[in-house]
Amino acid sequence: MKKDTNQKKKTSSIFGLLKLYVWQITFLSILSISVSGLGLIVPKIISRSIDAYINHSFVMRTLMLEFGVIILGVFVLTYLQSIMKTIASERVAKNLRNAIAEKISKQSYEFVERITPARLLTNLTSDIDSIKMFVGQAIASLISAVVVVVGAAVFLLTINWKLALAVLCIIPIIAVFFFFIFKRVKVLMTRSREVIDWLNKVINESVLGASLIRVLNSQAPETDKFTQANSEARNVGLKILNMFAALIPIIGFVANLGMLVILVLGGHFVITGSMSLGDFAAFNSYVVLLIFPILMIGMMSSMISRAQASYDRIKEVLDAEEDKEVGEIKADIRGLIEFQNVGVKYGQKNALKDVSFEIQPRTKTAIIGPTAAGKTQILHLLTRLISPTSGKILIDNKPIIKYYAPTLHMQIGFVFQDSIIFNLTLKENIAFGGVVSRNNLEKAIKTAELSDFINTLPEGLNTVISERGSSLSGGQKQRIMLARALVLNPKILLLDDFTARVDNKTERKILSNLAEDYPNLTLVSVTQKISSIKHYDKIILLMEGEVVASGTHEKLLATSLEYAQIYDSQKSTNHYE
Amino acid sequence: MHRFMIRKKVLITMNNYDLNNGVHESEKSLWVSVKKFFPFLREQRSQIILATISAFITSGLNLLAPILIGYTVDNYIQKGQFHGVLVYGAIILAIYIGSVISNYLQTLLMGRVGQNVLFGLRNMVFNKLANLPTAFFNQNKAGDLISRINNDTDKLNQFFSQSLVQFVANIITIIGGAIFVLMINWEIGLIALAPAVFLLIFTKILSPWIRQKNAINQKNLGNMSGEISESIDNFKVVVAFNRRDYFRKKFREVNNINYKSAISAGIANNTLAPTYGFASGIAQLLVIAFGLTFIASGNFTLGLLISFLAYISKIYNPLRKMAAIWSNFQTAFASWDRIHAILLLNSDLIKIPSVKTNPSSHVMEFKKVSFSYPGGKEVLHSVNFSFDRGKTYALVGPTGGGKTTTAFLISRLYDPIQGTVLLDGKDICSYNDDERTKKIGFILQEPFLFTGTVRDNIVYGNEEYSKFTNKELSKVIEEHGLKTLLKRFEGGLDMEVTATGNKLSLGQKQLIAFIRAVLRRPELIILDEATANIDTVTEKLLEDILKKLPKKTTLIIIAHRLNTIENADKIFFVNSGEIIKAGSMKHAVDMLLHGKRES
Repeated sequence: MKKDTNQKKKTSSIFGLLKLYVWQITFLSILSISVSGLGLIVPKIISRSIDAYINHSFVMRTLMLEFGVIILGVFVLTYLQSIMKTIASERVAKNLRNAIAEKISKQSYEFVERITPARLLTNLTSDIDSIKMFVGQAIASLISAVVVVVGAAVFLLTINWKLALAVLCIIPIIAVFFFFIFKRVKVLMTRSREVIDWLNKVINESVLGASLIRVLNSQAPETDKFTQANSEARNVGLKILNMFAALIPIIGFVANLGMLVILVLGGHFVITGSMSLGDFAAFNSYVVLLIFPILMIGMMSSMISRAQASYDRIKEVLDAEEDKEVGEIKADIRGLIEFQNVGVKYGQKNALKDVSFEIQPRTKTAIIGPTAAGKTQILHLLTRLISPTSGKILIDNKPIIKYYAPTLHMQIGFVFQDSIIFNLTLKENIAFGGVVSRNNLEKAIKTAELSDFINTLPEGLNTVISERGSSLSGGQKQRIMLARALVLNPKILLLDDFTARVDNKTERKILSNLAEDYPNLTLVSVTQKISSIKHYDKIILLMEGEVVASGTHEKLLATSLEYAQIYDSQKSTNHYE
Repeated sequence: MHRFMIRKKVLITMNNYDLNNGVHESEKSLWVSVKKFFPFLREQRSQIILATISAFITSGLNLLAPILIGYTVDNYIQKGQFHGVLVYGAIILAIYIGSVISNYLQTLLMGRVGQNVLFGLRNMVFNKLANLPTAFFNQNKAGDLISRINNDTDKLNQFFSQSLVQFVANIITIIGGAIFVLMINWEIGLIALAPAVFLLIFTKILSPWIRQKNAINQKNLGNMSGEISESIDNFKVVVAFNRRDYFRKKFREVNNINYKSAISAGIANNTLAPTYGFASGIAQLLVIAFGLTFIASGNFTLGLLISFLAYISKIYNPLRKMAAIWSNFQTAFASWDRIHAILLLNSDLIKIPSVKTNPSSHVMEFKKVSFSYPGGKEVLHSVNFSFDRGKTYALVGPTGGGKTTTAFLISRLYDPIQGTVLLDGKDICSYNDDERTKKIGFILQEPFLFTGTVRDNIVYGNEEYSKFTNKELSKVIEEHGLKTLLKRFEGGLDMEVTATGNKLSLGQKQLIAFIRAVLRRPELIILDEATANIDTVTEKLLEDILKKLPKKTTLIIIAHRLNTIENADKIFFVNSGEIIKAGSMKHAVDMLLHGKRES
């Protein structure tokens, strides 16, 4: 069903893109026309010289002057044209990239996940490259080619229309060949793109999973996977080659036939006196001039179709709907959180079902439950990374969507489960939430127990952390993420399995620091360890997306079998805590 | 006693695998790069020779036509003999037909060479990567590596599939044309070729500059890719911390840098074409001027002049096309340099010859092992300890203390800088990869899944079980007591997962990693916080599963959670470069809570 509507959707032509750059394109066109136009005069000059020579009226100086001026003119104009081409194409590329980035920056996290980061990367790199080629080469070449072909045809017709018609027949023949072959090649080009995507995916995973591959010694199956994709790439490449291998020689042949026609028919006309030798030479020159542009037009059509395909992909991102609901409430929040029958559905699966609870401000709440119970989803809902498919979420008694998003984000700190560190300095990573005061920064660092670690670094806070934080341990990354959340002085702090990577001593210290330094905090912590949250104001037990029980630790022990079971499984070590 | 092979160097420095710290490739000459590439063409030798012969035939035939045309003009057209025109017309037609056939062969063969070389090159790079150790991947950005393998091989591909054929054909035509021209009239010929010589000198002078601009541009492109990747991958933090402006700003910065260097490179690449056009015009002018003069003095004919003009265009048109191809050529070989940098690297995890030793009671032993990461401080300092077969050990300690590093050394993802690691009494370096990885299982801290199904991931790297049907596999899973775990994945074995997706929770991913490792039945399993994100009830299940493993299986558990390590036979405390045995659980807890921390 969905596929049908996509096909019927009107695709905007890539030529529409050019409308935005009217001045540059016009200038470029004028330059191209001038260059080609001047080039067309050259054979005429040659033929006039030859004829003048035969008629003994040849003047060397005239020749040198006319010719010299023209080729100098062509040189200057061509140079200007190439500069123009570069600037125009790079500018189009830059602007398109910015437009896509702007668009992405306004979208939701769901959007980026749906389109997938890999595809967005391709959009921003190779798709833009195709369009750049289109603007930079195709346009100018196309205009030049058309000018030359039309101009040459006109000149030929004016010299001797009979011969000209005979010769110009080659154009439609070549056109038919191109059309025929390109139709079949187009399918292969799409397949080629798909295979490259496949190849990229295999390489990507081999690089990201490098450690695992070495632990399992699975280099052989990985290489097999790669060879498969690589072989398919070669197959498609060879198929496309087979098409082109036939095309180019045939076109060359047809062009050569044109030369032959000139020799025989033109020769006949010269012999019978209806054409001069100079004109004969000119005819030869013009046909030679014609061949290259005709080939150009053919080549360009493949560039154009590739660019169009890329443009279609980019348009999908650019035309995507934006979140229409823009909340307006900018108030300071107290921290009262309410979930009313909230459900989150992915396809058929219910990640969360009918979840309801209330969290009072300045309290500590823990969410406990088995793996994949939907705990992370609750936190994601609170930061509006995802939206509920049913139910309502209220903060301070107002629907969460009515809040101006930045207001919420400035007041809700989130520590993710997986470590996300940027390739910036430690300070910039922690102060990621925005401009922070020195006080807030120091307080956050102290609470997250990072001071000792920072002191061991030679450049302290200004040390640049490597990508994906690979020079840091799991616990260090988590603490940096905590500092990042705390530096905002949030009203609500969301911790997703925070203590999983942090040792007990540090964990205890951090929790007590939190209580001391951020007393007005509403804390929601997803965790596995009951011992650390025993004293929390509320514990919510989540299983398979549903709230099974909620209350204080004592109440749950008494009333919930599942909770008791979990507690039991941790009991033996409880006395060490 | 144990081994006779002593390492030649007492102190081994780890290889520098950082690709961006190497020699500046753009300084090397183009021909050096091209020469390094020749070995790849060796396999395709016969095809290349055939293609070249075809190219010679094609160009040769095409070059014959103008001279015949000129001859026809002089001897038949000017003399009014139409019959001769027809005869020579037929001859020329035959030549053209011959040239079509050879042209087709030439394009086909050369194109095949291109595709085969590309195929081989990609395989070679991938194989090289497969043989490099973990250190390589930690010292280089993933985005940069991926860019080198994807974009750089693609640039080579574009050159091979599009430009190469023309390149070869053009060279032959140019040389052939020059020969013909000199044969017709060497004086005018030399004059006509003078601009071409000037062009070659001009190009040689300009090339290094062009190359450099392209190299800078390509580097910036790589950077931009890397930045884009990072920002998009980390989008959820960008959103949750309301830093959409950071995303935009960062992007705009990189985009602008790229814009400037792209224009720089574009202008550089476009300096040649207009100059070639100009030279072509000058050549034509010279030919006409001198040609007409020579005709006047009787040393030349009009027919020859027309032939000459045709040859000039046959020389200068390809030259002009070459100017365009030249920049592709430069880009392709700049890419080749980047790829070659990878091919030059070698793994520093060498296998040393195996020596007969007495069987040891210890399954693993560290003797005076020291280790530090390149450019980092020492993580382990001359540590000594041993693990007995069949026991369960726990490694605890503050974060950043060296537990994961110890695990890396146990599984030989890294080699120690000093000291020896013994597996079953033999130097771990004397095992081949297959043996060692069958003996040692390692559940990594960050679970990694490949795009595919749950089943694909569970049997990944497992030769035996990969061949099982789902039914057989389910049976095996049941035998290991893993059945209940599978229930947590709706869709069971056939559920689809992606490498970079959030369909599965972190805990579920850890479960898959767990199942995968257990099915291999290694003698020694390392669990590096492998259950950190798994709830304690499930964790108990996992413990039961581990108990079902053969008695001689040694477990090494790295964890923070006390109930994860409560059943360990011995606990080791890893911190400040040292590994100390804890006397009891209480002692370990004591050390954890009160001991000196280092992180």
